Amino acid sequence: MPPPGGFEAVKYKRNLPFRGPGGLAILGAVAAVCAYGFYRVGKGNLERRELQREKVWSRIHLVPLLLAEGDRDAFRRQQAALEREKEIMKEVKDWEPGKSVYHGARYRSVESIVIL
Amino acid sequence: MSVFHDSSSSSAPYKDSTPLPDSVPKVQELGVTSAPLKSAAFFIGAYCKDYNEDFMLCKNEAGGDPGRCLKEGRRVTRCATDLIAKMRENCLEQFETHWNCLEMNNQEYYACRKPERTLNKCMFEKLGLTKTIPGTPAGQKQIHEVEKPIYTTLQR
Repeated sequence: MPPPGGFEAVKYKRNLPFRGPGGLAILGAVAAVCAYGFYRVGKGNLERRELQREKVWSRIHLVPLLLAEGDRDAFRRQQAALEREKEIMKEVKDWEPGKSVYHGARYRSVESIVIL
Repeated sequence: MSVFHDSSSSSAPYKDSTPLPDSVPKVQELGVTSAPLKSAAFFIGAYCKDYNEDFMLCKNEAGGDPGRCLKEGRRVTRCATDLIAKMRENCLEQFETHWNCLEMNNQEYYACRKPERTLNKCMFEKLGLTKTIPGTPAGQKQIHEVEKPIYTTLQR
């Protein structure tokens, strides 16, 4: 005899809980994140180039200033070396102080300096 | 004739034993350290453009001889001294904030955009000098004017 109210419905449907987004969705999401990351990297590279340009130009603007200061010191050393040479070689006949060992008028910096 | 004297063992203050010859006019050296120089670099470039270019052209013609461009060099130094004095007169606070920031941040410009902007604003208002970086691609903002840069002191 069936129970009052009839039999329970037969459970024939599959009972699978939701197991997260599918493979295509995950692939798409990863691809999107990577694409955004690479976009930022590209932007960052361009920005780094500009930062480098800024740094280089800040140095270029300072070159004349530092060079002028260095030149004055180099000239002072040059003159001092000349004086020293005159003093040391005054006994030697026909000695020309400060004469280059090379022919030609091209400027050559001294090979050795005396730090005083 | 110059003789070596150890300055650490001397009781008298240091005296240059081989000064510049009297034929060369004296000029006060700038005596500014690297961070203030870096902070002021673009303004020096803008303010002293003529003198700087004159000096570099002269150096190019002189072929490296330090004695041949002393006059132009003195002009360059005097111009820079003038500019630093003007900066200190007009924008002392902003200038000091910026170069102290540079000092604390490995002298990187990108780390000090906030103080830099106030300094640039002050320099433009008081002295009419602007910071322009040559060679910035056309139609792009200059790097120091970008609102949201990618490279900041914060790693994101």
